[in-house]
Amino acid sequence: MISGRTAKQGIGLEIGKLSKSYAESVNHVQLSTDDVKELALEKTHNLRISTEHGSVTVNWIIDKGLSAGMVFFPYGPWANQVFSSNTDSTGMPIMKGIPATIIPTDDKVQELNEIIEKIRSGA
Amino acid sequence: MQYTDIVCPFCGCLCDDLEVTIKDGHIESVKNACTISQSKFMNHHENRINAPSINGKETELEKTVEKAVEILASARRPLIYGLSSTECGAISKAVEIAEFTGGVLDNTSSVCHGPTILALQQVGESKTTLGEVKNRADLVVFWGSNPTEAHLRHIVRYSVTPKGMYVQEGKKDRKIFVVDVRETRTAKMADKFLKIDHNKDFELLLALRALIRGEELKASQIAGVPIKEIKTLAEEMMKAKFGVVFFGLGLTQSDGRHMNIDAAVGLVSELNRKTKFVLTPMRGHYNVAGANTVTTWQTGYPYAVDFSTGYPRYNPGEFTAIDVLNRGEADAALIIASDPGATFPKDAAKHLAQIPVITLDQKTTPTTMLSEVVIPVATAGIEAEGTAYRMDGVPLKLSKFIDAREGVCSDREVLDMIIAGLKEAKQ
Repeated sequence: MISGRTAKQGIGLEIGKLSKSYAESVNHVQLSTDDVKELALEKTHNLRISTEHGSVTVNWIIDKGLSAGMVFFPYGPWANQVFSSNTDSTGMPIMKGIPATIIPTDDKVQELNEIIEKIRSGA
Repeated sequence: MQYTDIVCPFCGCLCDDLEVTIKDGHIESVKNACTISQSKFMNHHENRINAPSINGKETELEKTVEKAVEILASARRPLIYGLSSTECGAISKAVEIAEFTGGVLDNTSSVCHGPTILALQQVGESKTTLGEVKNRADLVVFWGSNPTEAHLRHIVRYSVTPKGMYVQEGKKDRKIFVVDVRETRTAKMADKFLKIDHNKDFELLLALRALIRGEELKASQIAGVPIKEIKTLAEEMMKAKFGVVFFGLGLTQSDGRHMNIDAAVGLVSELNRKTKFVLTPMRGHYNVAGANTVTTWQTGYPYAVDFSTGYPRYNPGEFTAIDVLNRGEADAALIIASDPGATFPKDAAKHLAQIPVITLDQKTTPTTMLSEVVIPVATAGIEAEGTAYRMDGVPLKLSKFIDAREGVCSDREVLDMIIAGLKEAKQ
């Protein structure tokens, strides 16, 4: 899994972090056409993405620039659920090149306020 | 009313050619802006925080300042964080608060180009301005950076298509290389794209350096890149009259972190034995370079500064915001022009939810939702003036061309009120 910025995320955050545009710009992952076929993904499916640090359910779209086995997660509250806070004494957590698994799911994608509540509860 | 030469307060490009038309106190249109900048200017009034609040209850500004003073004055280890999306005057005030409270001061560079700073402090920097790049660069390498998504006008204003004094045909006179783990839109517009295995940048940088030094490499591929492609890049780099490497978080947020930058500087240093070569970090937030600059003026250090002993100490990895939160050490936080609730890994963000947080921002964010005290502020570069530093270290003036809503102050003014309150509380 790699992560990063996107223009849509920038546009969305300037509308507002509670806006639909912002949520849609960061509550998904991007994956290759090959992986979509491999996972037999249907349009109705969501994806459960998991690392050793956490997991979260997200939407998905295809990015033809990605190779099979690589998934891109835009920076944001959803991606933060699968990052480690450990910085190895550098100040910077690793946000790119993280081993992750993805599986199709019928679970719904959490709303931003649900993620905030989860943070608040310490869960 | 039309304003010209307006500086865009979004990304580190600080494009300074915007034309803004104001009608009846509102922005009617913006010319020359990228799509993100358009969104910033045209939506700046949308979703604004209605009023100052304490625990979600709206109140007067003075009461929120009093509460902020109470929290900071009683804290034993306050974290003062953010600062990259405001102007330098406000940053200066934040440093003063950190010193006065004996707190920890950090800015968002710790989660973007902090590793760059660490490396450059060790090995130095061969740098330039974006104007020099426009006028001279005949070879441009984007390494782990994707300006088509993050710095939308970089390519057309500075690095690829503009016609310059010594590159009079613009893109025709430049060679563009992209090194990345995926084929981005930036990669698609390049003359040559080198697709690298993730977490292998360090190896490729060292291989290039060895080739430029004249070493023979026996491997058929390095970091997933065929040796022939690596040799081509090395040859093109040596043939260039003025080369530049623009690098992004692909280097700082993957394995190796600051050591990747160390290797990039080493490569550029080697190239300077043959020709002129420079490197420039693609700074994200519009004044993150200013946050480093102002903090360095006042403390001697660019980020991750601790004042608990009464004098500034610097130690990224210990005094960086994520580490201070992750250890559960901060007992209060003052967040200015930043949204760690939406940008920090969940365990660090969780600690923010356990301590009193004071946040200064324009719009509701995950951080304001976790905050005890929320103070709405004016938008620097639209409703408040000041100075910001471009990604290459050039300072530019931010303009004020419309008034903030009545009763809404700038970051600098609110921080000044907090400083006055802290001084009074101490007496």
